[in-house]
Amino acid sequence: MHNKNISSVLKSVSKPGRYIGGEFNSVIKNKEEVGVRFAFCFPDTYEIGMSNLGVRILYDVLNKDKDVWCERVYAPWTDMKEKMEEYSIPLSAVESGDSLDKFDLVAFSLQYEMCYTTTLAMLKLAGFPIWAKDRAEDCPIIIGGGPCVYNSEPVAEFFDLINIGEGEEVLLEICHLYKQMKEDGSYTRSAFLRAASHIEGVYIPSLYEVAYNEDGTLKEYKPLFDDVPAKIKKRIVADMDKAPYPEKLVMPYIETVHDRIVLEIYRGCIRGCRFCQAGMVYRPIREKSVETLCKQAKCLYDNTGYDEISLISLSISDYSSLPELTDSLLEWTDASHVSLSLPSLRIDSFSEELMKKVSSVRTGGITFAPEAGTQRLRDVINKNVCEEDLMRSVGIAFRGGKSNVKLYFMNGLPTETDEDIIGISDLAKKVVGQYFALPKPERPKGLGVTVSVSCFVPKPFTPFQWEKQDTFDELIRKQELLKSAITDRRIKYAYHDAKVSFIEAVLARGDRRLAPAIAYLADKGQMFDAWDEYFNYDLWIEAFEKCGIDPAFYTSRGFGLDEVLPWDIIDIGVTKSFLRRERDKAYEGKTTPSCAEHCSGCGANKLGGNNRWCK
Amino acid sequence: MVQVNTSKLFLRFRFKKQGSLQYISHLDLVRTMHKVIVRAKLPLWYTEGFNPKPKMIFAAPLSIGTESECEFMDIRMNEYIDPAEAMARINANMTSEMQIYEAYYPESKFTDLKWMSYRITVSSLGDPDQLAQRCNSLFASDTIEVPKKNSEQTVNIRPLIKSACATRAGKNIVIDTILSADPSAFLNPEYVIKALRDKCGMLTSPDLTAEHYEILRLNAYFGDMTEFR
Ligand code: SF4
Repeated sequence: MHNKNISSVLKSVSKPGRYIGGEFNSVIKNKEEVGVRFAFCFPDTYEIGMSNLGVRILYDVLNKDKDVWCERVYAPWTDMKEKMEEYSIPLSAVESGDSLDKFDLVAFSLQYEMCYTTTLAMLKLAGFPIWAKDRAEDCPIIIGGGPCVYNSEPVAEFFDLINIGEGEEVLLEICHLYKQMKEDGSYTRSAFLRAASHIEGVYIPSLYEVAYNEDGTLKEYKPLFDDVPAKIKKRIVADMDKAPYPEKLVMPYIETVHDRIVLEIYRGCIRGCRFCQAGMVYRPIREKSVETLCKQAKCLYDNTGYDEISLISLSISDYSSLPELTDSLLEWTDASHVSLSLPSLRIDSFSEELMKKVSSVRTGGITFAPEAGTQRLRDVINKNVCEEDLMRSVGIAFRGGKSNVKLYFMNGLPTETDEDIIGISDLAKKVVGQYFALPKPERPKGLGVTVSVSCFVPKPFTPFQWEKQDTFDELIRKQELLKSAITDRRIKYAYHDAKVSFIEAVLARGDRRLAPAIAYLADKGQMFDAWDEYFNYDLWIEAFEKCGIDPAFYTSRGFGLDEVLPWDIIDIGVTKSFLRRERDKAYEGKTTPSCAEHCSGCGANKLGGNNRWCK
Repeated sequence: MVQVNTSKLFLRFRFKKQGSLQYISHLDLVRTMHKVIVRAKLPLWYTEGFNPKPKMIFAAPLSIGTESECEFMDIRMNEYIDPAEAMARINANMTSEMQIYEAYYPESKFTDLKWMSYRITVSSLGDPDQLAQRCNSLFASDTIEVPKKNSEQTVNIRPLIKSACATRAGKNIVIDTILSADPSAFLNPEYVIKALRDKCGMLTSPDLTAEHYEILRLNAYFGDMTEFR
C-alpha cells in the first residue's frame, strides 16, 4: 500500500504503528466506484483521534452510503512531520494511503481551540493553501465542524464550508449535492458553495461581509446575496433511536486514549450550569431508549471484542432509565467479562448500588466536580449540588474501597472572592475528614485527595458569554492563594497553566481579525498547542503583536450586553434572551431548576427532536 | 468428541505477521489478539479473580520493524475445539497481514525453542558483491563485539549465531542467518544490523531512501535443528 519512502521513514519515527492503517473493521472501497471521496481529518494524534466518538459516528454514517468513501487522516507527530518535509511525502489518508489532493471533500473535526495550529499544519502538509480565498478550482472543499465551530470566526476564513451542529445528516446532504453538481456539470467551486449555503446547518464564511465599529467592536455580518441566510441554524438529529450508530468500530493496533466501547446514552443536558458551553449548545436533550442502547452495546461487543463499555453523555446519572439500563447490560456483561464504566457521575446521584454495578473490575479512583468552593458561588454558576451531597458521596466511595478522590474546581468564576477560593481548600479538608470519620478497619488504604483547578474561560453561548476573564496576574494570584491555603499534605493540588486558558479564551471568543495571528504561528511551523511540550505562549503573544491584536480585548475587557458578538451569526436554538436571563439570575445568586423539574423556556424546543421535557 | 486432558488445554497457533504489521509492538500484538480471540468466540479459559483475563502465551517476542512468517501463540481453552475450526474463526477476525496457517494441540513447550532463522535484506550504497564479501568475512571471525543497548559495554554475539551467509541479490545483499532463540540467550537480529553498521560500514547514510534494510523471521527449531512445533 505504501511506497518505499514511507516504509523507510517508518523505521525512524516514534510509534510507527500510528501511521500504518489496515485496522480490522476499517472500510476499504473501490475508489473508481464511489462518487465522493471524503477525508475526515483529526487535528491531533492518531491515539486521540481514534478515541473520538464524533469521528467514529460520522465515519460510519458516511461509509454506509455506497456513493461515499470516507477515510481517516491524523496529524503526524513532529518527528514524522520533519521526515515528511525532508522527503516530500504529502499528508495521506490512513485507508488508501492516497494524498489529500485525490479527495473531493476534506473535513476537519475541531474539538478544542488549541488544535487550530495543528489544523493549519495539516493543510500545509497536504499542500493546500491555508486561506480559503487562495484555493484553486480543483482543490478539495475544506470543511470544518465539531464543538469549536459554534464560534468558528477566528478560523472561519481557513474553511470553505462549516458544518454547524450535528453532522449525521448534513454531511451526507453536502456529499449528495457535490456529487449531483459534478455529474450534471454545474459544479464550480463558487456555485457549489453558494448552493450549499441553502442547506440548513451549513455556514459559508466567504459569503458574509463583516463590518466593525470605530471602537473595534463588531458592527454587523452581512450576507453578500439575498439567498444566503442571515443566521445559520444548528442542525440536530431528531430521534436518537433512529439515528445511525456504528455497529463496528475500527480496531486500532496500538493503544488509544479511549480504547473501549463508547455508548452514547443521550445528547444534550437537562442541567444548566452557567459556565458550560456543551450544556447549552447540545440542547435539547434527546435520549435513546434502553432497548436501543442494549442492542447497540451487544452488537458492538460482538464486533469488537472490547472488555469495557463506557456509558457516556454530559451527565450520565440524569438518564431517566439508568437503573434499568445498567441492569439489562449486566445481564450479559458480567458473564462475558465485560466491565461497565460511567465517567460522568453527578455528585448528588452517586449511590452505593451504582458503584457496585460499575466498579466490579475497577478499583482506585473516583472523580467529582463541585466546580466552586462555596455554596454561594455554586448557586451563581447553577451547579445545584451542595456540600452534604459531596460528603455523602465521598463517604460511599471511601466505604466502597475507593481511596483516591479527585475534585474538579474552577478559578476566576464571575463574582468570585478570596473566600470562595479558600472554600475550595476547606471542602477538600472536609473530604479528608470524611475519610477519618470512618472506623479504621473500614478505611481503604492510601488516602489521596486531589484538588484540580482549571481557569474559567467565558465561553460563547453560555450565560457567562459576556463576562470578563480574570487577568493573567489575577489568575496567578488566586492560584497562589489556594496553594498557600492547602497545608494538608494528603491533599494534592493541581492547577492548569493560566497562560493556556488565556490563549484559549482569546481563540474561543475571537473574531475574524485573529486569523492572521493563527496563520503566523502556522508559518512558524507551530502545531500541537494542546500538548504542554509544544504550547508556546511567547509565540502567541508575538503573533498578536505582529498582527496588531490586543488579546485583552477578547478576555479581560468583557463584552457589552448590547454588543454584536462574533457568534451572533449562529443560532443554536437557545436564545440570547434566555442566556441574558440566566446571567441576571447568576448575579442575584438564584438557581434555575433542571429541565426535568421545570422547562425554563430556553428556546431549544424550536429545533424539534424527540424528548420528554421541552414545552 | 475427542477425549483430551482438559486440565490445561492449550491450543497452539502458528501465524505470520507481515507488511505494515511489523510496526506493531509485542505489547500491542497481545492487546490486539485479546480482542481477536474474544470476537472469534472461542471457548476461552479465563483467570480467576476481580479482573478475569484469557491466558495467552507468545514465543520469542518480535521487535518492531521485523516481519515474520513464523510466530507462535498458545491460548488456553476451557473445552476442546477443533483446531481447524478455531483457526478459521480467528482468521476471519484478523486482517490479511496477520493470519494463522497452522493450529494444533502441542506437545512441546516454548522453552524447547532454541533457534530461529531470519532473512535480512539490505539495500546499501556500494558494490553489492564487495559488501556481501565483507559480511561473510565478518561472520567468519570468532568474535563479533557489538555495543549493548543503552550501555558502553560490548557483547560478543558470535556464539549466538549458528550460521550466517551473505549473498548478492540484484542491488541488494541478502543475509540468511540462524540466531539463538533460547529465552536465556535470545539474540535480536537488530544486533546483526549493528554489526553490519560498525564493522562493515553499511547502513550508515542518514538518507533513509539511500540505505535501508528489512528483516524477516522464517522458521523456528528445536536444539537438534528439527523444526519446532
Ligand atoms: S426548552 Fe425547556 S426543557 Fe427544553 S432544553 Fe430548553 S429549558 Fe430545557
